Amino acid sequence: MLTIKKLHAGVDGKEILKGIDLTVKPGELHAIMGRNGSGKSTLANIITGRDNYEVMEGSVIYNGTDLLDMSPEDRALAGIFMSFQYPVVIPGVNNTYFLRAALNARLNHHGLKEMNAVDFMHLIREKLKLVQMDEKYLTRAVNDGFSGGEKKRNEILQMLTLEPTFSILDETDSGLDIDALKIVAEGVNKFRNNERSFLAITHYQRLLEYMEPDFIHVLIDGKIVKSGDKTLAAELEAKGYSWLE
Amino acid sequence: MSYLDQQFDALLKYWPDEDRAIRTLRTHAFDQFNSTGFPTKKWEEWQFTDFSKLSKKQFKLSRANDLPSIPKSIPGLIPDLGFILIINGHYQPQLSSLPNGVRVSTHLEDFNADENIYSWGKSQNPFQALNTAMMNSGVSIHFEPNKSIEKPLQIIYLMTELSEPLMNHPRFHYHIGDNSQVTILEHYIGLSSETYFVNSVSHATVGANASLHHIRIQEESETASHIASTHYQLESDARLIATHFSLGGELYRHDIHLKFNGHGGDASLNGLCLTENSQHHDQHVTVDHQRDGCNSHQLFKYILGDKSSGVFNGKVIVRENTKQTDADQSNKNLLLSPAALMNANPQLEIYSEDVKCAHGSTTGQIDPEALFYMRSRGLSQRKATELIIGGFAKEILEPIPNEHISDYINQKINHWLRLSQKNG
Repeated sequence: MLTIKKLHAGVDGKEILKGIDLTVKPGELHAIMGRNGSGKSTLANIITGRDNYEVMEGSVIYNGTDLLDMSPEDRALAGIFMSFQYPVVIPGVNNTYFLRAALNARLNHHGLKEMNAVDFMHLIREKLKLVQMDEKYLTRAVNDGFSGGEKKRNEILQMLTLEPTFSILDETDSGLDIDALKIVAEGVNKFRNNERSFLAITHYQRLLEYMEPDFIHVLIDGKIVKSGDKTLAAELEAKGYSWLE
Repeated sequence: MSYLDQQFDALLKYWPDEDRAIRTLRTHAFDQFNSTGFPTKKWEEWQFTDFSKLSKKQFKLSRANDLPSIPKSIPGLIPDLGFILIINGHYQPQLSSLPNGVRVSTHLEDFNADENIYSWGKSQNPFQALNTAMMNSGVSIHFEPNKSIEKPLQIIYLMTELSEPLMNHPRFHYHIGDNSQVTILEHYIGLSSETYFVNSVSHATVGANASLHHIRIQEESETASHIASTHYQLESDARLIATHFSLGGELYRHDIHLKFNGHGGDASLNGLCLTENSQHHDQHVTVDHQRDGCNSHQLFKYILGDKSSGVFNGKVIVRENTKQTDADQSNKNLLLSPAALMNANPQLEIYSEDVKCAHGSTTGQIDPEALFYMRSRGLSQRKATELIIGGFAKEILEPIPNEHISDYINQKINHWLRLSQKNG
């Protein structure tokens, strides 16, 4: 599904990722763990196509095409999604309208019929239940006046609605209390199947207790220094990162 | 003899039977205008706007023979409203439809009732003096007291295709009776590729415990100049919500004055300017708190593209010994191009202790984070930009009480956005 080869990338000429190799197969959930500044978010930003990042070397191949040549919207239409660490407030843009426009862009891209407002309301009400969100969030502006936890649920709501094939969860656990974390993890778990892949970026083992990874990779100073199965999380929790340096 | 002198003489000759009192008023006003001429950049309140091009052009006062055949469909006509139609300066009563409880009177009747509202005062605004001198169109409208007039009244001030540069100096008076509720849409539309000059003055007196929604749409032709003054006067416990939407004209200058004449008034002044090419939109707002317990809110937004420029000068004055004033003022501007320019100058002049005042002004570009966020959901850069700008604009339209009117403005905004995105 996604193959990253010899990826060197950074910002303002400063190299942050120093040779990443990673292969994610359909149906797998990979966790990337590491301290602040290790390059976790840079990796997410490179995959999704945020401006101002430069790739010095390497490739990110998604279903046979190099993502690095594509605009952020084309990547999204191809099935890439990121749940943002800091979801953005967009004043005056209605949350439901935004989400329907995004879904219709995707349907349109795949040559499918766009969804009208009535059908979309049925769909979105079903999805809301999965993340236990109140309907009042549908009438607000995107993320406007949402608490930290509500913003994260709104991200997962978007994922469930847009049905991407490769989802990045960038620090989705940060700012969530344990109840909200369970709800969010449950939303992701229900969404998992053998065709959808995930990259979960986190500091903490906590998220992975509720969302079981197939592989865990430890990122230190822009390199994957250790990969393992889910048991690695517990080892990191006990020993920290310094033994890997 | 300047062209304005010639036009003034011609105007006096054209209406030889005009009432002597009005004639005197005109002559005094014209002397006042001539003593200063057009404002220059050396005048403090006018420094960001260049009137030299306007002052060098020669415009002819519109006359009856400038009335073209009436267009079959009137542009801008909004469904289900009462309306007054003025074409190239000429009021068309036979084509107008007044809601019940509304009466149109002549300027002479109006002048006889209250000559003060015809004075240009000490405002140092030569355009108001020029309007009083040259006043050649407009209407006075009386809204009965104790009546909720449900149908909004739309005044269409239409300039059709012109064969030579014309000018008009319309004067509108709105008298809102005590305890009445009224919605007025003052709507300027231009269809002409030839340049023209509209210099309008509007006065609204809102009676005790009355409520006025005043919406003003300025969509003049792109080579036109539109200069305006609007005066609001609120009696005790009167309420005003004003929405000023402008997207037309190459030069737009609007002085908005709000005065509380009684206690307990409540006013919101909102504005949205959309500019592109080399358009220049300048709004000066003065809110004068001289009575107790009055609230005023200002929210003025500008969206500026290309090489266009905007000026916002907002002043709140709270007079000495005025109690329990609540006043806030906010100005937010979005620059869509590196060449666009905004001059913002929010001011508070507070001479009283018992006040709650806040003001602020921000100017920025489209948030790149918001843009990336939306693109990462699959929306094109263009669509995302449109949504962000539309979202920024939307807040201004929320207080408009009539759906047809807000739909109309929304359509204008969306059309403008599509064009500006295409060019951009």
